[in-house]
Amino acid sequence: MTDVVTPSEHLPPPQNTWGEWIWKSFFGSVSNTLFTLAFGAFVVWVLSSVAGWMVLDAVWRVEDRDLCGHGAGACWAVIEDRWRLIFFGLYPYEEQWRSSIACLALALTIVLSCVPKFWSVRRLPVLWLAGFSVFVALMRGGFAELTLVTTEQWGGLSLTLFIFASVFLIGMPLAVVFALARRSSFPVIAKGMGVFIDVVRSLPLLAILFSAAVVIPILVPDWLQSSKLARVIVAFAVFFAAYQAEIIRAGLQSLSEGQEEAALSLGMPYWSVILDILMPQAFRNTLPSTINQAVITFKETSIVTVIGFFEIMASGRAVIGTDEWGAQFVEIYVFLGLVYFVFVFGLSRYGAWLEKRMRVGHG
Amino acid sequence: MMKSKLAALAAVAGLSLGAALPAAAQSGDTLTTIQERGSLLCTGHNGSYLGFAEVDDEGAWQGFDIEFCRALATAILGSPDALQIVPISWAQRFPAIQSGDIDVIIKVTGWTQSRDTELGLQYSRPYFIGPFYVMSQTELGASSIADLEGGVFCVNAGTTVERVLADYMEANSIDYEPLSFESAEELRSALYAGRCDAIAGFGPFLASTRVNAPDPEALTIIGDVIQLEPEGIVVREGDDALLDVINWMVSALLMAEQEGITQANVDEIRANPPSPSIERLLGVSPGVGERLGLSDDWAYNVIRTVGNYGEIYDRTVGEGSRYQLPRGLNNLWNNGGLLYPLVLD
Repeated sequence: MTDVVTPSEHLPPPQNTWGEWIWKSFFGSVSNTLFTLAFGAFVVWVLSSVAGWMVLDAVWRVEDRDLCGHGAGACWAVIEDRWRLIFFGLYPYEEQWRSSIACLALALTIVLSCVPKFWSVRRLPVLWLAGFSVFVALMRGGFAELTLVTTEQWGGLSLTLFIFASVFLIGMPLAVVFALARRSSFPVIAKGMGVFIDVVRSLPLLAILFSAAVVIPILVPDWLQSSKLARVIVAFAVFFAAYQAEIIRAGLQSLSEGQEEAALSLGMPYWSVILDILMPQAFRNTLPSTINQAVITFKETSIVTVIGFFEIMASGRAVIGTDEWGAQFVEIYVFLGLVYFVFVFGLSRYGAWLEKRMRVGHG
Repeated sequence: MMKSKLAALAAVAGLSLGAALPAAAQSGDTLTTIQERGSLLCTGHNGSYLGFAEVDDEGAWQGFDIEFCRALATAILGSPDALQIVPISWAQRFPAIQSGDIDVIIKVTGWTQSRDTELGLQYSRPYFIGPFYVMSQTELGASSIADLEGGVFCVNAGTTVERVLADYMEANSIDYEPLSFESAEELRSALYAGRCDAIAGFGPFLASTRVNAPDPEALTIIGDVIQLEPEGIVVREGDDALLDVINWMVSALLMAEQEGITQANVDEIRANPPSPSIERLLGVSPGVGERLGLSDDWAYNVIRTVGNYGEIYDRTVGEGSRYQLPRGLNNLWNNGGLLYPLVLD
């Protein structure tokens, strides 16, 4: 006879209340209690000193700037005084409204393209073409009443966003091409692309950008030269594509070969197999790594500082590059950190939402 | 053209590899190029450099080096607005001038032999004498560097200062403990926090570090000059015509100061020149411009636009600025300095 256990014989699981759980975990024994108290005091001390520095003792107004640095907290007056320099860089002062509208247009384009409604082969390119045209037309000007502002004068947040968006948009299609080439059935193409990707990946980004900005103008004849910004963006996009291609390739390899064979045996053309069967799945499977790569790229845009662009990092440093606000470097770096945080955190949360929506990892 | 580009590339490669390459002469006439273009491409500093190239709250450039850019644009093209400031980092300045991104480097650039020869560059006569000083904590009571024997000296890693300090300490057999920091901000924090007994650095940097300290009185700049760095204006090798203009522009600014000609009284003096050489300087009697390929009133325009050397100095880094950097060696010869005008005949 088998031992049948009727449900009624189960003991109910111990019904711990929150209070009991906390009491047991934190104050269960003498050492636990001591540790909890010590650590709690430490956390309270850190939080209160951070809050004191950032908020309570902070100097907010430029009129009160004499208080800065003399035992007071953060001196946010520097932001009030120089926020336009941080956000717009060297863009001509009277024309900065153009830069802010352009920035909003680009941000809006990015947000809209995250909405599933726009995810179609027709809508997405149209959206981006429109967004980019508005951005460049406003920033560059040179028609109607708008004065011409060359890319050398672009700066601040709008330049950071522009570099990021362009690198992502040029880099992504390039990455798909790279990934497909590396899986090509022609050994020459596959091997050649393999070597190319490995070479690009083994060079530091800084060296690539520096060459694009400085060495290419020496090598290439004058008539073939584009603006420094364009060269740097293309070089950055190739670098991004080399990494992203490997991510996409991983996504393609995670699919069973049977899918491709089945699609081909149904008579589907090659491009349709790629675009309709393989790519959507590959992208879905590699979404976490793609978001990761996007976040890294956003933060790496600050490297262009080294070749003389006034993106948001360089603009921020220009603020502390004068004696007037030279002592407020901590405030400036904290503020820049917050700006980056808003964008990167937004990107990460969007990625998490996307994963949930696509049920990545749930078949 | 291709040949000169290859030569320039070789120079860039030489720069990045640190290899000794023969000087790569770039033929070319940048002065004519500037006149045809109608604007001068001059260096700014991205991330900015205290007192020499700064960005104000409206994003406009200002500073000692920027004033010289404006003076040069005025001398060549007649207007300080015929100027494009190209933001350039330290590492980028030599490749940038080789590739033609800029026409001149006016960016506190020390005149060293390797730059002058191997990189294929040409220097103007110094327009600024950069002194390196030591600043110590006042409470140590040091009046000379020797008093700081055995102390912790903080410097920026990888800069000229690190080497200059080491040379000085070795030559004077003073023991010290060097401590390097990556950025100027870290260096300042360490000094303010008392981790360093002293820091060594470029005069203007020390002055502003002191002004911005929580307690400026706690820091003292010691009078010993540990090293001089003559700063010149840089052009490509072979740009003799442009270099002539630069040298005579610097000379005109110094001569104006020596003769007491200022932005305010230049018109008055021009109407009534007290001596033949001032007549020539201000273009009242002809010749001063033609020899350089400029208009005869170029020096007058420069003085009217930016003032004389002393006025530029006071406005940007000296008494009239926040930096309060003493003139010291950057005075005229008759005031105990090292600067002098050339002879205008």
